[in-house]
Amino acid sequence: MTALDLQALLPLVLTTATAIAVMIAVTITRRHGLAAWLCAAGLAAAIASIASARECAPRHISDLLVIDSFARFYSGLILAGSLVVAVLSYGYLKLRTDRHEEYYILLPLAAVGSLVIVCSANLLAFLLGLELLSICLFALIAYRRTGRGDLEAAVKYLILAGASSAFAVFGAALIYADRGSLAFGPPGLALSSPVALAGIAALLVGVGFKLALVPFHFWTPDVYQGAPAPIAGFIATVSKGAVFALALRYLSTENLLADGRIIWLLTAIAAASMLAGNLLALRQDNVKRMLAYSSIAHVGYLLIALLASASLGRPAAAIYLTAYFLASLGAFGVVGALSQPTRDADALADYRGLAWRRPFLAFTLTAMLLSLAGLPLTAGFVGKLSLVFSGVSSALWLLLSALVLGSVISIFYYLRLLAALFATPPASEPAISSPNTPWPTTAALLFLTVALLAIGLWPAPLLDLIQKMAVAAW
Amino acid sequence: MLLTWIIVLPAIGGVLTLLMPSDRSVRWTGFLFAVATFVLSLWLFPAFQGADAFGTRYGEGIHFVEHHEWIPAFNANYYVGVDGLSFPLVILTTFISAVSALAAFSITKAVKGFFALFLLLETGMLGVFLSLDLFLFYIFWELMLLPMYFLIGIWGGPRKEYAAIKFFLYTLAGSVLMLIALLGFYFLSKNATGVGTFDLIELATNAKIHTKFNQAMVLGFKFAPLAFTFLFIGFAIKLPAVPFHTWLPDAHVEAPTPISMILAGVLLKMGGYGLMRISYPILPETAATTTAIAVLAIIGLVSIVYGAAVAMAQTDFKKLVAYSSVSHMGWVLLGLAVTPAIFAKDQNIAGFSGAMFQMISHGLASAMMFFLVGVLYERAHHRDINRFGGIALVMPVYFGLAMLGFFAGMGLPGLSGFVGEIYVLIATFAYNQTWAAIAAVGMILTAGYILWTMQRVYLGPKPEDTHHLSPVTAREVIVLASLGVFTIVLGVYPKLATMFYDGTLTNIAKVWPVK
Amino acid sequence: MTPVGLQHYLVLAAVLFSAGLCTMVVKRNAIGILIGAELLLNAANINLLAFSKYSAGTLDGAILALFVIVLAAAEVAIALAIFLNFYSRFASVDVDRGDQMRG
Repeated sequence: MTALDLQALLPLVLTTATAIAVMIAVTITRRHGLAAWLCAAGLAAAIASIASARECAPRHISDLLVIDSFARFYSGLILAGSLVVAVLSYGYLKLRTDRHEEYYILLPLAAVGSLVIVCSANLLAFLLGLELLSICLFALIAYRRTGRGDLEAAVKYLILAGASSAFAVFGAALIYADRGSLAFGPPGLALSSPVALAGIAALLVGVGFKLALVPFHFWTPDVYQGAPAPIAGFIATVSKGAVFALALRYLSTENLLADGRIIWLLTAIAAASMLAGNLLALRQDNVKRMLAYSSIAHVGYLLIALLASASLGRPAAAIYLTAYFLASLGAFGVVGALSQPTRDADALADYRGLAWRRPFLAFTLTAMLLSLAGLPLTAGFVGKLSLVFSGVSSALWLLLSALVLGSVISIFYYLRLLAALFATPPASEPAISSPNTPWPTTAALLFLTVALLAIGLWPAPLLDLIQKMAVAAW
Repeated sequence: MLLTWIIVLPAIGGVLTLLMPSDRSVRWTGFLFAVATFVLSLWLFPAFQGADAFGTRYGEGIHFVEHHEWIPAFNANYYVGVDGLSFPLVILTTFISAVSALAAFSITKAVKGFFALFLLLETGMLGVFLSLDLFLFYIFWELMLLPMYFLIGIWGGPRKEYAAIKFFLYTLAGSVLMLIALLGFYFLSKNATGVGTFDLIELATNAKIHTKFNQAMVLGFKFAPLAFTFLFIGFAIKLPAVPFHTWLPDAHVEAPTPISMILAGVLLKMGGYGLMRISYPILPETAATTTAIAVLAIIGLVSIVYGAAVAMAQTDFKKLVAYSSVSHMGWVLLGLAVTPAIFAKDQNIAGFSGAMFQMISHGLASAMMFFLVGVLYERAHHRDINRFGGIALVMPVYFGLAMLGFFAGMGLPGLSGFVGEIYVLIATFAYNQTWAAIAAVGMILTAGYILWTMQRVYLGPKPEDTHHLSPVTAREVIVLASLGVFTIVLGVYPKLATMFYDGTLTNIAKVWPVK
Repeated sequence: MTPVGLQHYLVLAAVLFSAGLCTMVVKRNAIGILIGAELLLNAANINLLAFSKYSAGTLDGAILALFVIVLAAAEVAIALAIFLNFYSRFASVDVDRGDQMRG
């Protein structure tokens, strides 16, 4: 291992070091603020280390990891997402009387798991990252232990994640049998043999579960509802983004899209996710569940980029994910900021007339919802348009129709929440008396909103960056 | 930079209003920025003087052009310019906005938010009229949607949320169809020339692209009629034409008065403008087919007659004015529809010209009528036509201005409403005399409901309880008079409007072959 | 008697996998479900080792199997901690008791 290898690995090293530093700090003194700031500073340093080493050529580090510009881009996205979650969590946990410090050990570890997934060049690394991410998430989902919902959500996630990763390991074993190695590529998986095909299918179960694609989506609403709001945001963005980047890399290094059956399978899953996600979101009165179903649909949209040609599909995936990260984290951030110590603000009634009580939060949530709905002048529009461009260039008409149909349906439930925000407040006391927003939360939400609108108004710099980084050949 | 300033000045004002300390200063800031934008737009006038102000074919005679790269990945550019088609509507927009801002002084709820959104809306409207890039056009089109949604949904009447959501969904459905057509343009132009473009002028004048649009098949359908249909539905919702009009009465009835004025005065013009700016120049052959002419004209005729008939049945004063808008915008559609046919016969663009005139005239008259209703509503707190009566005796100045406004709406000769309708009627008569006869029936119905309404509201014995019917204030008189003056001027001297756009409209029509 | 070959391992793994899957579907007791998940992982492990020895001839599979054992242990540790909390709240480890969330 050379110094350059170390430099390439710096984001991973720093993030791991963050977890360790918080662990040591906690053994010395239990202070919530200290743990949170250590965690945030460590993640920020890791982001800075990506920026400093941007021009490095792809580096293979042993057989397990590869650090190329694609991995760097998604690492940056994951770390930025984790940083925002850490900041939002600080305000969220502050209100709750319990020990918070271990939370900031688990969060960077979950980020390390995601980073390993993104950088993996080998099924072994992928499975390690996946398990690290899952195990940290079990604990994070159950972290509050105050309500009924969080334990229930943790148990559900635990059982289903356990089963799905067992499927993934089984799939890895079958693929290993076919090609004698766990490394990705070069293309040449014998898809004609039932063993390899079964392996791919089993792997797909593991990946589909993490991405919450239909038909592996059943856990999503319950877990989002039960988990603390910032962690729900983490599951919706960081965990999905990492696995999606892996899927993008794996499909193209193995050249799996040359096989018609896999294209059809993914098309069916994508269309089903878009329609089911949006239709099920329509009848939700619970905001967290609604966001959960809409996230199913969003990953369905993303699969268009997966199936489209690489030259347009990869940048489209990157920009859509960026927009989705911003909007989802913002939405869950607002949910978290409104939550009381005893329960999360997830009922639609909690949001009625919010614009009159908490104009900043209402404005932020409005921007996030508009972006999720894909309306112009938000990052979501640029993302959706990029998906459409990539889909048209590859003539994915079925998926594009589903995208249009899904987007139109989604307007209804986003608008429902939006209308509630600006409704005249009821004369009686609001259903939830939300605490004041701590300044780190405000700052994080402001950052997300500004980034969201800036990308919507002037997307050229981000598109350039993505063109440079997220499209690299491997 | 002039056009950019015109577009962003209201938005800057909108931000500034948020920083103002008192409601009073917010109102004045908002109003002054609207007026400043109007004054700035008057600087466009000199460009339209002189013989070669319009050029000899479509794409020439565009002034104050600004062209900057914006999103290279989609070849979307910041491309704005003003020609004879957009110029009158820009002036109309800035003028109606300034007048409406004055009318909005009576708003008392969350004044800051109101004026900020109001000015943002003005930026969106001006952007739509000034964009020459379809992508930019679409962005501005959507930019209007949200402020309008909030302006109706927060400051509206009792059923405001329902009305706002209905408005939002209708408009959004239309713009999704529009976006599909726009993307079709982009991808087919990429097919034809190797470079996809959203450039409106390029799409209309490049022969290769033109041929491609007419020949291409998409999923088994001919592209041109499909795109024309999608665009038409998008614009017909905005116009609104009859099967797509049901959002309008709700939106108007619930919207606060100044927003009704903007809605009727400017937003409804987006539909006609979109047809003239996008559908007709880019898909001229499709627009000239007998099917397209018949479909558009019949929808227009149905709107005229149905709108007038339904207006007659209303007892809610504001709903009556709303339905009269449906009827009046039907004339625009009718005028547009028959033009390709009559131009082929005798190079006559009376239909286009009349449609354009009708848009300007209706912009003034409908804004005036909505304000007249608003004045009465603020005093009486109801809008039931049958419960009024004898207002003329109590509020004589108001009555004088009301006569002017409603007669302009009715199309009384000498006032602006007459000119547009008569142009369209002449054009229609040259193509199909039955249609002209039906349109004339619409004219009679219009005269009927307006006269009947005026009789019920303004005439009759003096009402018993008059203490709440205070005389009109100076502010209200200024609003009404400034609108009223132009209905008279344009009615007496229509050339004041036609001289600015006839050149450009002729250039658009030149694409059609003359028989 | 035939010598033990690849196929025998594969059959064993398949049986274990099916047993694990059945356990996870049928059991309502959280511990039982966890045992099912362990059976799945062990089925995969047997496959990995068998392929490593008989067909691939590389050590990749064996190494992964080693990691899977460690991961499974970590997973069980966290799982049991969560089940303990679940038990202290609901006085049961029956997963059907967690039925608050619907829709």
